[in-house]
Amino acid sequence: MENDEKQVCVLLIEDDPGDQKLIKMALMNQDCVINLMVASSGEAAMDYLRMSTDDVAGYPRPNLILLDLNMPGMGGKEFLRKVKADEDLCSIPVVVLTTSDSETDIRECYALHAAGYIQKAAMPEEFRNVLKRLTRYWFSVSALLKG
Amino acid sequence: MDIYKTVVIMLVEDDLGDQKLIRMSLREQRIANTPIVAGSAEEAIDYLVKNKKSEIAPMPDLILLDLNMPGMGGKEFLRWIKSDPDLEAIPVVILTTSDSDKDILESFKLQAAGYINKPVSLGDFQEVMQTLTDYWFNICRHINYEADRQVSKCSNS
Repeated sequence: MENDEKQVCVLLIEDDPGDQKLIKMALMNQDCVINLMVASSGEAAMDYLRMSTDDVAGYPRPNLILLDLNMPGMGGKEFLRKVKADEDLCSIPVVVLTTSDSETDIRECYALHAAGYIQKAAMPEEFRNVLKRLTRYWFSVSALLKG
Repeated sequence: MDIYKTVVIMLVEDDLGDQKLIRMSLREQRIANTPIVAGSAEEAIDYLVKNKKSEIAPMPDLILLDLNMPGMGGKEFLRWIKSDPDLEAIPVVILTTSDSDKDILESFKLQAAGYINKPVSLGDFQEVMQTLTDYWFNICRHINYEADRQVSKCSNS
């Protein structure tokens, strides 16, 4: 095993426990070590991000955010808007991961500067494959900000 | 029935050698793509502004953007496009020789949707383009301006 194995931190914002589990498992066994933080709501995610900004131990700043759209309370788009309006947090790429295939949602998310919009695949195997290709883009090909 | 999809990728790159490498590696990709090549940020802006509302000239589905260009630099172009409500939704991916942390930070702050260090060999370029086009056109949904136009053409006939 290489000493300098890449470590990245991903913040997943997802309220459905089933999807949380699916995504957690799909992100394991990737080519790099993924430190996954899970928030069940936009509000919890904002709280987490504020702690990470203040450099609080145990709250590493994510290199990438995966964001569900349909959540109770603060919805995904509202969260996206807030994060992108924050001078410090706006540099974290946010990829939308959702069941919605609405053209309006797609347009709005990209207009809010989402860095990708992915429809959740129906079958777990397919979803695992999709997430593998997502991590290949973000962690093998694209440079990321150091956490 | 599948509508045969061609995606439009705009390349903003002043170096002719790099233009060639990128075009060659894009040609190898399974996803049919049409490149629009701009040799400068100014040329790119010209195209985008002129063709925003055009029925004929395509808007890009993705922009690959060099940072270091004479005249208007990549970051300035990025700032400009992300402040135009008609264009800001187009994802822009940086493709540059620079690996400076400052450039990475500033690019992401300006809402780049990826930051890629230019590979050296054609083989490496092909691999990078494969992952890039796979992400943006196989996995990601996107605002497909061309598809909009194709669909409306079909319904008029």
